[in-house]
Amino acid sequence: MVASVLKIKGISKSFGVHKVLHDIDLEIAKGEVHALIGENGAGKSTLMKIIGGIHRPDTGSIEVDGESVAFSNPQAAMAKGISLVHQELSLVPNLSIAQNVFSQREPTNWLGFVKWDELHKRTRELMERLGVDIDPATMVAELSVGIRQLVEIAKALSMDAKILVLDEPTSALSEKEVETLYRIVDDLKAAGVSIIFISHKLPEVFRISDRISVLRDGRMIGTVKAEDTDTDEIIHMMVGRSIEEMYPPRASSVGETVLSVEGLSRGDELSDLSFELKKGEILGFAGLVGSGRTETARAIFGADPVDAGTITLHGRTVKFKSALDAINHGVCYLTEDRKDLGLFLTKNVRTNIVSSSLKKFASQLGLLQHSGIEDTAKYYVQHVKLRPADDKPLVMNLSGGNQQKALLAKWLCADPQVLIVDEPTRGVDVGAKTEIHSHLRQLANSGVGVIVISSELPEILGLCDRVAVFNEGRITAVLDGEGTTQEDVMKYATM
Amino acid sequence: MAISKSATKSSVREFVGRREVGLFLIIVAASAILSLLTPQFLNLNNFISIATGMSYDVIVAIGLTLVLTVGGIDLSVGSILGLTGVVTTMLLRAGVAIPLAVLAGLSLGALLGALNGTFIAKFKINPFIVTLGMMAVARGASVVLTSGYFLSNLPAGYLAIGQGKWFGIPIPIYATIILVIIFDYLLRNWEPLHSIFFIGTNPDAAELSGIKVGKMLIVSYILSGVLAAAAGVFMTSRLAMGYAQFGLGAEQRAIAASVIGGASMSGGEGSIFGTFLGVLLLAIINNGFVLLGLSVYWQGVVNGLILVIAVGVDAIRRMRRGEDRD
Repeated sequence: MVASVLKIKGISKSFGVHKVLHDIDLEIAKGEVHALIGENGAGKSTLMKIIGGIHRPDTGSIEVDGESVAFSNPQAAMAKGISLVHQELSLVPNLSIAQNVFSQREPTNWLGFVKWDELHKRTRELMERLGVDIDPATMVAELSVGIRQLVEIAKALSMDAKILVLDEPTSALSEKEVETLYRIVDDLKAAGVSIIFISHKLPEVFRISDRISVLRDGRMIGTVKAEDTDTDEIIHMMVGRSIEEMYPPRASSVGETVLSVEGLSRGDELSDLSFELKKGEILGFAGLVGSGRTETARAIFGADPVDAGTITLHGRTVKFKSALDAINHGVCYLTEDRKDLGLFLTKNVRTNIVSSSLKKFASQLGLLQHSGIEDTAKYYVQHVKLRPADDKPLVMNLSGGNQQKALLAKWLCADPQVLIVDEPTRGVDVGAKTEIHSHLRQLANSGVGVIVISSELPEILGLCDRVAVFNEGRITAVLDGEGTTQEDVMKYATM
Repeated sequence: MAISKSATKSSVREFVGRREVGLFLIIVAASAILSLLTPQFLNLNNFISIATGMSYDVIVAIGLTLVLTVGGIDLSVGSILGLTGVVTTMLLRAGVAIPLAVLAGLSLGALLGALNGTFIAKFKINPFIVTLGMMAVARGASVVLTSGYFLSNLPAGYLAIGQGKWFGIPIPIYATIILVIIFDYLLRNWEPLHSIFFIGTNPDAAELSGIKVGKMLIVSYILSGVLAAAAGVFMTSRLAMGYAQFGLGAEQRAIAASVIGGASMSGGEGSIFGTFLGVLLLAIINNGFVLLGLSVYWQGVVNGLILVIAVGVDAIRRMRRGEDRD
């Protein structure tokens, strides 16, 4: 057994009352490629930020080369040879490749002036080591995402990184760039660099890693050798939690098609998506973050343009130019980002509830009937069981669950025929979650077509009649909610 | 009957807690102090002179309150007042009929406002920069058109707009009161204008709620321009001349009055009646300066301080509220 270069023991981390990491152990051997996988929100990024010195753990210890360390900032981690290559690239676009690679560490003469020749020579050497022949004076803004990633890796190498953390490095790369990255990972490994590889895509995990560690709900489920396991076992480790919540009974019967979408496409985000939504059913959109679920919803809602595709509502072809247009046709979209895109935080509950249906409370001359607004708001406060049962508190002073109920009330008030809800129970406690589920089912039973986008597989499978699985801008399968397992969905979401 | 008692209590507290009520009490207090300090304050002629003097500021500040409510700012109102006044008086001197000249002035105000609004809503340029540019352009154009001269010799019919009286009260005072009542009512009750509260609070959420964000942004700046132009008409007819420097600093007083009256520099809040009280408070303070024989040069200092204090208090209020979050 090769010596461990990094040894983590008993790491826990909470943000406020929310515990995101429970007692994590992890060992990384010298020169190994170690994949770290798990669902969205499993705690991968938090763990990596602790290793990289961005967050500090509440408890637990970190050893690098047998020496106990406590990083107070990313620079301290880098000094010990740990470098993070972020999902969101951290380069400065208006500076050159060389300036980015040697940011704050440019070789200077005794007067403090940058020695440009040496800076460029050393950058060129690093880039050549990564197999790229490029002028080090090129501005980062002019580079493709793939090359930018290589610049980040060059930056890490320039600091003599012993451990390189690659956080979803292939998510924005073309196929050719991915192959280049694999080759670089193999080269670095041969040179004795350890690599922690975070990914959602199981085929690539098996392609390049030696060992795989699985996180779920902030706990380390286990570490296995890649050659001793298979996709099924890994998926089971990723999703194998028990379903704690109770879901309302499914639709007994569904009616005619309310909404049908054909050939929806935009750039490489959405490619030729087609599906149908029937009256009275709840259709689930499953898939990983960035697989095109939210983009599809926004495109239908008229919030974003599309390149191609037909949307048919009640048998009539429609093309919404704006959210207003969609709302007027009874198509509503509850956003996943309630604070920035959904609610008016500094306004009270009443104002928020009527915000998408103001025109309904106006006379022909446009004069608002304030008593009607008050009565309606009070009705919905009762209907969604808001706590406190009052329409006057400012929404920003409500809990997450109550904010989400207020957001739901806002769209119920708009009287939708088709309601698309995006992550309707994110950051919501179990009680409010069950209530939101029963409202959605009630809505479907009353004849409204409901689409639920969720990253929580138990929610999708428990709530929905049918499930469309999204993968890289395509729908790879439409499955029955009943009888489908999380493993089935995961297979289509990661293939 | 504990329930109804506490309900009454809370609605009393709500009423007293309203910005307008607090502001009204401050105005009463300031008036009381001034009437103790000088016998000239509590006097009908003095009140009419205060009311006439503040009428231009009120009209400009109505527009500014709308723009602040929608989440923007308009630094160009003073310059638009100046330029539209100059253009109207030049047309009158060229023999254009009074209604046409006034209409031309108001249309120019609408056009300049529409330009502001279009750059801000369509090209997403910072409203501060757009209207700062418009402020310089409009003021510069006024000076170019007049070469710095006063434009007098205006027709008597035009002067009647600003100098005429009904029952001893100058017409601009009536116009101001009517505009305050109309815009206060519309902002509270007319759905299209009421929607600017949503836009100013969260433009992205407003767009996704089906509110016409771009259109209402432009409309707000147009109203701001038209109202500034209306103030320009009243001022030039009242003072019987057009002059390139009219309206200098009006934006500063209008911002201060709007914020004192309840508008927020971060948008989503504003009250026309509150703004009216804000202008009244500033006017009474300035009147006090004159009556007490203090140097007029200090007025600029005090007005500036009031602006900074009003905006500062607003910022602190928002910070406090922000702490309640999570």
